[in-house]
Amino acid sequence: MFLARFLARRLLQGVLIIFLVSALIFSLLRVVPGDPVRLMAGGMAPEALIEQIAEDMGLRDPIYQQFARYVGGIAKGDLGQSFVRPANGAAVGGASFDDSTRGERAKVWDLIAQTAPKTLMLAVLAMVFALVIATPIGVWAGLNPGRLPDKFALYLSSFFVGLPNFWLGIVLALLLSVKLKLLPAIGYNGFSYTILPALVLAVEIAPFIIRTLSVSVAGVMSQNFIDIASVRGLTRNQIIFRHALKNSSVPLLNLLGVQFSMLLGGVLVIEFIFDYPGLGLLTINAVMQRDFPLIQGIAIVTAAAFVLINIAVDLCATAIDPRLDY
Amino acid sequence: MTRANTYSDIPETRKELSIPARIWSEAFRSQEFRFGFAVFILLVLAAVFYPMFSGIEPTKMNISAKLTPPVFVGEEWSWMHPLGTDQLGRDMLSRSLVGLRYSLLIGVSTTVLMVALGALIGLFAGYFGGWVDTVLMRLTDAQLSLPMIILAITILGVSRPTIPSIILVLGLAGWPVYARVMRSSVMSERKKEYIRGAMVLGATDWRIMFTLILPLVLPPMALVAVLDIARMMIFESVLGFLGLGVQPPTPTFGNIIADGRKYLLNAWWIATMPGVFLVVTLTSINLMGAAFERARNKIYGGV
Amino acid sequence: MSLDLQNTTETLLSVRDLTVVVKNDHGSRTVLDEVSFDLKPRQVLSVIGESGSGKTVLAKALASWLSPPLEIAKGEILFGGRDLIADRSHARHLAGREIAYVGGNPAGALDPTMTVGAQLVEKLRAVRPQISGADARAKAIRLLEAVKIPSAHRRFHEFPFQYSGGMMQRAMIVDALISDPELLIADNITQPLDVTVAAQILKLMRELNENFSTAILFICSSLPVASDAGDEVMVLHSGRVVERQEPEALVARPQHAYTRGMIDELPSLWADGPVGDGQQAHAQDQAALMSVRGVAKHYVTRGKQGHAIVQAVRNVDFDVFPGDNFGIVGESGCGKSSLMRLLTGLERPDAGQVLFEGENVGEASSKRLRALRRRFQLVLQDPYGSLPPQATIGSIVEEPLKIHGIGDRRRRRELGRGVLNEVGLADSLYDHLPTGLSAGQRQRLNVARAMILEPRLLIMDETLSALDQTEQGKLLDLFERLQAKHGFTYIFISHDLTMVRKVCSRIAVMYLGETVEVAPNDRLFFDPGHPYSRALLSAAPTLEARRYAPEECLLEGEPPSPIDLPPGCAFASRCPRAFDRCRSENPALTERGDASSAACFLVDGAIARKDTA
Repeated sequence: MFLARFLARRLLQGVLIIFLVSALIFSLLRVVPGDPVRLMAGGMAPEALIEQIAEDMGLRDPIYQQFARYVGGIAKGDLGQSFVRPANGAAVGGASFDDSTRGERAKVWDLIAQTAPKTLMLAVLAMVFALVIATPIGVWAGLNPGRLPDKFALYLSSFFVGLPNFWLGIVLALLLSVKLKLLPAIGYNGFSYTILPALVLAVEIAPFIIRTLSVSVAGVMSQNFIDIASVRGLTRNQIIFRHALKNSSVPLLNLLGVQFSMLLGGVLVIEFIFDYPGLGLLTINAVMQRDFPLIQGIAIVTAAAFVLINIAVDLCATAIDPRLDY
Repeated sequence: MTRANTYSDIPETRKELSIPARIWSEAFRSQEFRFGFAVFILLVLAAVFYPMFSGIEPTKMNISAKLTPPVFVGEEWSWMHPLGTDQLGRDMLSRSLVGLRYSLLIGVSTTVLMVALGALIGLFAGYFGGWVDTVLMRLTDAQLSLPMIILAITILGVSRPTIPSIILVLGLAGWPVYARVMRSSVMSERKKEYIRGAMVLGATDWRIMFTLILPLVLPPMALVAVLDIARMMIFESVLGFLGLGVQPPTPTFGNIIADGRKYLLNAWWIATMPGVFLVVTLTSINLMGAAFERARNKIYGGV
Repeated sequence: MSLDLQNTTETLLSVRDLTVVVKNDHGSRTVLDEVSFDLKPRQVLSVIGESGSGKTVLAKALASWLSPPLEIAKGEILFGGRDLIADRSHARHLAGREIAYVGGNPAGALDPTMTVGAQLVEKLRAVRPQISGADARAKAIRLLEAVKIPSAHRRFHEFPFQYSGGMMQRAMIVDALISDPELLIADNITQPLDVTVAAQILKLMRELNENFSTAILFICSSLPVASDAGDEVMVLHSGRVVERQEPEALVARPQHAYTRGMIDELPSLWADGPVGDGQQAHAQDQAALMSVRGVAKHYVTRGKQGHAIVQAVRNVDFDVFPGDNFGIVGESGCGKSSLMRLLTGLERPDAGQVLFEGENVGEASSKRLRALRRRFQLVLQDPYGSLPPQATIGSIVEEPLKIHGIGDRRRRRELGRGVLNEVGLADSLYDHLPTGLSAGQRQRLNVARAMILEPRLLIMDETLSALDQTEQGKLLDLFERLQAKHGFTYIFISHDLTMVRKVCSRIAVMYLGETVEVAPNDRLFFDPGHPYSRALLSAAPTLEARRYAPEECLLEGEPPSPIDLPPGCAFASRCPRAFDRCRSENPALTERGDASSAACFLVDGAIARKDTA
């Protein structure tokens, strides 16, 4: 009952959020200078032809009409078609002018569906790495506030946050891949290609987990029920593992929800550096090619993912702490 | 706060420090803050003065000295170029320091912009609640759900990036987190008795918001925003790396590293040295920010 | 187990020369000074002392729960003959097992993310691993029933936040007793509770002591409560035991000057007899200054089960006449605070009217309301939270003048100094921050701020409840002086019956959002018209011979939730006199002569009707 009401409310809110996002990104792309048709048709295309294509694609209609049409499409699960990518392969170029018939262009949804699993794998692996690195350090720091482990955690997380992901990617690729030949770095040809990018991404995420955990564990440890638990006869292990960690996991969950977009930002850059064929690389190429439908589609899909992840996070949080009420 | 249990009529009062000053002095007590602060000041002084005094122009090419390695590396290093030179013989140290200037400029102003915007939106949402809150928070959610970097590269990718446009784009993309933080602290502040007291005295909402609540909740948030200066500097360098930042020939960390990447195998220092610089700067800023955060938590007892 | 022990030794706990110090950078300060006492098995010893007397430190030392900077300097704590100070591991072994502790903060004592039942079982099995899970569970439920938690089976699976304060304290008592300890340290356990709930808990403690063969060290700060609870009372003052006697003897023949002073300072409810009140007689001739007519207010809360409506205030009716000291009493959750917000125009009522000088506060425009606010003012409860942080004392008193645009800089400063002097705060503080002010001085500042606008009506929302007896007395004197000089009318909103008895001319009693009785002071205390008023009086902590016995006035049970009000009288579930009609129909305020009224079917004519029914 509670669950149904919760899901209904949150999904409804999610739809609203996605609508706002699509409105934002749609109008943004129409306001900024640069004509996608010119790019699409190639620099040599005659003006009349460009106008012709634009007309055909409905790009000269008023913005609200275009938007209405677009939203109508989304409602039916259709994110439109790429401006530049053909359906038959991942050809990147859009400079030549020979494949202008719309039927041959790739569906945005297909492009996203092809690349998303790789990104998902990268993100999950990175999250696993990050948790493995950060959890012990954060908990250890939280149990010893103001002392050495805490200082270590502070210095380490300050250092990790200060490592720009693209630079770390280059350095690690140089060291581990070029010099030591331990891991492959560029492109994707099997699972091992995911490890290095995931490691870089993990370094980017880990400090946030360390900080959140050390603060929340320290906070929980100073609470009355932990203090009094020893007088009640519970052992220190019981107190830490059964009570303290459980209580301090809620802020961590919330962090994951809010920092989702940060994670995605990292993915984008790292995929670009390692030439990893995921959603991030797709995004960057879409921007470079002014592939508006693709940019829009990616923005909407990520917004939807954000909404879903946050619903899941809040559900987990309420399961852990029944006082919470979203 | 100690509750003095004294019955004397002249109590022991003292001039209490303002909130930022209290956080500052609490933070300054920690060794990590002092360390970060010292490094940071050193770097800023270098960024301001080195290119001026050394007389080495960051954009001056010197093909005869091209690809000089940093000191103590290889055979041909020289003290003229402590961090070596790039493929055009430009001095890496002075390029890095000039890059640091832009990085700091963009990092600081972006952070100021997003804190200001977030604070204002959070203040209104948290104070008025009701439909104002609902509208503003849905807007915040929408903004938050659209990854900042997608927004930034989309805007900057399709228009020509300039320093003001970079600041504007990053600032406009980064406010939602602050709006949320501000909203929740305004909401908890609003429940306190002194606010009710001011209302009963007849104070207007405007007066309560800007003379009572804002001065109290903004400083702790703004000081911790120091952490975001570092984040924004990274962002700026990412944009530069993708070619969407400040455009060459102005040297920025991002475009230097992107450039150096092409020479990674025979001149690794071009890509890595500016990065080391950036890492040291960011670590020092983060140390300060983290110390501020702890000081705030200590003073406010919050998490 | 405890029975064996009883046979072998006559004392369970023997404390010898226990000295505890606080160590800091500047040296050390003694908190407990050579405290010695014995406790027999099954004995209940009350320890009483004001805050700072070291009583909580004593409790923690016995529970082996001292943490730096507190340190035991010397002495012995012999429990069953073994010294707990010398043998730390034995002390740790006893903690939660043979020596149980219940604190004064039940709300934060259990993990909020686990059910109460699971934590009771966890604790029992931590200290008695040989007990099986199912047995532990059965025992927990049995004890929850024993402490009279309604539907214990269901409550077992609920989370701490679903328990009310009183229920949580019962659960903590179960938590302490579940391992069958030989000693229970009860540290201020009734302090956070409402008087009627505290009375129920005290009753429960006495029963448990009879049934469970546990010795109890009952620590509290109120002499009436300590005498009620203990077989003997030990008085602690500045870290020393000043005397120990049986309650009756202690009250009748205190040996130590400190105890004597404490007894003398206790306010009385009935001892001075009816005081009579000429003031209120003439007040009634004039038009009411503030009239409350059938006011109601509900709030909507969003919970797991969807929206819920909390009936915070309903059917509130009373008049306040010029020169009155009008009291509004009730326990927490009775709607006092919501009513205060309605009276001061902070919120608007859903129904009914709040009339100030004939003008409806609830419907006034915000501009009009601002103007009205110059003539009625509010003084808040929390001396620490009610002053704006980071503002100087001078700017705090001048703020109202600035808000209403009165006077120029010089004039405001002049007025500000004037009111500060009137409330007894020195001029020299003008540019200081209020950080160093005591609670009493802060409340003076609050009064100064409220009266600088020269209002006619001052509403005091629990203004004195954070202050100790001495400070309260001083402020009450101040209020009287100000009333004589400026002709203020006061409304005191309070939970403290003794304070209300001392100062108020007329009193309204609230229960679950309603005014159940409105009566002049003497009438309420000597001839209450509502059973709830009587229950409240019976539970009041006092050393006097009680006019009303708690056993006869109050049934076990919790007040109903304001979300889920029963159809009839809200008090019916705890009322020993309730009959069928009370459960289906809500009585309205009924005149019972002499400017008194009560919302009960038993008032006068109603009794006759019951008899014939």
